[in-house]
Amino acid sequence: MDITGNAELFVTLSEVAAAASGGALKNAISALAIRHGVRSAAYLGTRISDMVPEEPYIAVAYSSDWIEHYKRRGYFEIDPVIRIGMRRLLPLDWEQFGEPEGMLKTFFREASEFGLGHRGLTIPVHGRSGDHALFTITSDLPEREWKQKKLEYMRDFQLLAVHLHDKILELHGRPVTRANLSPRELECLQWVSDGKTAWECSVILGLPEHTVRCYLESARYKLNASSNTHAVSIAHRTGLFSPVL
Amino acid sequence: MILTIETIDLQKHPRFIDQMFCMRAEVFADRLGWEVSVVDGRETDRFDDEGPLYLLSVSEETGALQGAVRLLPTTGPYMLRDVFSVLVPGGAPESPLIWESSRFTINPHVFSVAECAKANHIVHRTTLELLFGIVEVCQKAGVDQIVSVFDARMARIFRACDCAYEVIGTPTRIGKTMTYAGLFEMTDTMRARLGAVGKLPSSVLADPSWKAEEG
Repeated sequence: MDITGNAELFVTLSEVAAAASGGALKNAISALAIRHGVRSAAYLGTRISDMVPEEPYIAVAYSSDWIEHYKRRGYFEIDPVIRIGMRRLLPLDWEQFGEPEGMLKTFFREASEFGLGHRGLTIPVHGRSGDHALFTITSDLPEREWKQKKLEYMRDFQLLAVHLHDKILELHGRPVTRANLSPRELECLQWVSDGKTAWECSVILGLPEHTVRCYLESARYKLNASSNTHAVSIAHRTGLFSPVL
Repeated sequence: MILTIETIDLQKHPRFIDQMFCMRAEVFADRLGWEVSVVDGRETDRFDDEGPLYLLSVSEETGALQGAVRLLPTTGPYMLRDVFSVLVPGGAPESPLIWESSRFTINPHVFSVAECAKANHIVHRTTLELLFGIVEVCQKAGVDQIVSVFDARMARIFRACDCAYEVIGTPTRIGKTMTYAGLFEMTDTMRARLGAVGKLPSSVLADPSWKAEEG
């Protein structure tokens, strides 16, 4: 899996990267919900803006009616996705909430009336400066398909969630400066730019293939790239490659 | 059996969490002589404030805490980049699919409650159970790699467990011991190998509804 696995994710990451405004980002989120076959997609970040750090930033793929209703009812206070998700590391499958009772029963019923799926997956994002975010998708897939899809979603959407989060910080005038590429990361990328696969890199460099993949994964992340090819083009553009290998 | 405890659930396991911090003080300050901050017999650091995930090994027979480890994603603050950067002069890895494990501890009390051969067996099994638990949790969450900082003593333990790693960066002498940064792949191969060496069941994670008789 030299790209992060699938073509849909590549398109989505490219669209997120290209978004130059909040509106464009909202469109990208709406498009990704359709592309990845989920009922809804939503991003919620805290400590995004220095001006109003307590105000969460929300970007969603569904109509703003639910958001309005949500705010009017004061659902921030009870929404288990936010209460629990913000203090977790592992992706959260809504199944873990169990059968909702009382207020929560109303909450989830209303959510589905407003078009959200009855299954949900929430991915926590942990930034460098105490900034946290949640990326949530909902789905109406039957149980068996959901179980299969979930693993793919977890991997893809963890990558996507971080890209979204960084884009939103950037749109708020707080571009994220990622660490420099390590010599090994650069070396692997340079061989990839020469058309070598991860396995070939591993033979050339005398490293296990999984280590090469790790270097490439980290290089893509640091360059904010959606694929190895994208990472290579960024490295070329920014003059990271030395002229002679 | 491995309990996975998120920050939001810390208060559900007050006794285990407190025991874990005591155990860390005993191991890291008292036995290994590391320069860690111990208050009231409990060792904590700033990464405990970053909402880590704890994995605790608990004996199914006795309910005793046998070991613990801490996980953090490399997108946020983490030890290799923020404390041990000397080990990776070229830069530390960062990705939502690469996490760090730290504060790997085995409870030294097993030696005071069991005879030596039995204690050694418990230590070996607990080590494998924790390592296996890390792989299992990572696989469930789509995490590809674990990065970790460890010393020569841990390196020997990994070898004894047939737990493969790849050293990254430059091993460096810190204080009295050689210190390494290593990468561990969270694959089926790793899982199968640890499972075979430790004769572990196909899953070591406790049922989420499992509740210890604490107190």
